[in-house]
Amino acid sequence: MCGLCGLLGEDAHWTDPLGNDLPRRRERLRRIKAINLVIAPFRLSVADFQGASYLVQGPTGRQEMANGLEQLWHQAESILGRALDPLDTQLLDHLEAQP
Amino acid sequence: MSLLVNVITGFLGSGKTTLLKRLLANEQLGDTALLINEFGEVGIDNLLVEEVAPGTVLLPGGCVCCTVRGDLKDALLGLHDRRSRGEIPAFRRVLLETTGLADPAPILATLNQDLQLRRRFHLGLLVTVVDAQHAESQARLHPEWLGQVTAADRLLISKADVVSMAVVNDLKERLNLLNPSASQAMVTDITSGDDLLLGEGVQGAQAVEEVRRWKLFAPVRESRHSIAQVCCLEFDKPLNWIAFGVWLSMLLRCHGERILRVKGILDVIDSPQPIVIHGVQHCLHTPVHLSTWPEGPQYSRVVFIVRDLDIDLLRRSFNAFLRRLGQVA
Repeated sequence: MCGLCGLLGEDAHWTDPLGNDLPRRRERLRRIKAINLVIAPFRLSVADFQGASYLVQGPTGRQEMANGLEQLWHQAESILGRALDPLDTQLLDHLEAQP
Repeated sequence: MSLLVNVITGFLGSGKTTLLKRLLANEQLGDTALLINEFGEVGIDNLLVEEVAPGTVLLPGGCVCCTVRGDLKDALLGLHDRRSRGEIPAFRRVLLETTGLADPAPILATLNQDLQLRRRFHLGLLVTVVDAQHAESQARLHPEWLGQVTAADRLLISKADVVSMAVVNDLKERLNLLNPSASQAMVTDITSGDDLLLGEGVQGAQAVEEVRRWKLFAPVRESRHSIAQVCCLEFDKPLNWIAFGVWLSMLLRCHGERILRVKGILDVIDSPQPIVIHGVQHCLHTPVHLSTWPEGPQYSRVVFIVRDLDIDLLRRSFNAFLRRLGQVA
């Protein structure tokens, strides 16, 4: 449990914060911001839910809960109906076009 | 206390069992529990053994030998429980022999991701025995061979005595192209207490030494016509861990089957120590904080062994994600 936020936390994952300097909630929000930047071209978005789960939302209003990053990608793909590919050239064009 | 699990794999008939037979004959595996497929294969019937539980025997040297009957998870948990109850000697490590047709990735995933196992065991080295006589045809005909070779931390070449020196040298060269970071040795050179076989790898006290063995900064000959390609990605500035995690987790989710192996050392923002990552296919191990950089360059470098993946696109994706996400995360 995080001593500052009182969060029970997610299942352990290799992407978890490396140090204990920042409160976990702040780390989560930074991660969510990064994920939103990546999935925005697919018209998807992610929000924090209770500091322990993710709420994935699609363009039609469909919403799915996800625990951990693995499930987040899985739910995002199920809303999208296809794979969320980090090698997608349109996604890379979008990321490279940003300032 | 979490117990070490080392895995011995290798294609059918590669000589895993012969190696285990020889190790058992030395009676130096006293603090090791051996998880094997069949007792009969290892030939322990000839040894004076004592059955301590159904499917579990105690060998004269003190080594506990147990068969995997069905589920690997049940076998490991059963072994741990019997150890806790004092029914079998308090072994320090488990040596797990896989079947010849096993793809190591699901075994690693079970050990890494199962909550019950994760608290009790941690993965050490994955050792692959490669048959020098049949490597050529196995590589051509059986995709499991490639999975076993690329997942390995150590490659032990067997049956070198039945082929010419030129064949062995060609095989060594080929293995070096497919998995440059795995140490190679002849199976005949392995003795039972050998650290090459029983070491803890990057999870242990000798982590810096192990990372040095990986030769991450060695120049890579990128062969585009081989059955697998090696791709090195570098980042000259300290990288953002959140951006890296988002990129790699997304990549492994989408292309995990094509990413046979990943190993890397990372210079991460706000981390005074280098971070070491390594994984097989979809499964990445918990990152390790290394006490110090091994001698040589001190910047982030990740080595991928991939199959049917566009290396230029992989490089472009890595740079795009790291640079863009690094600005916001």
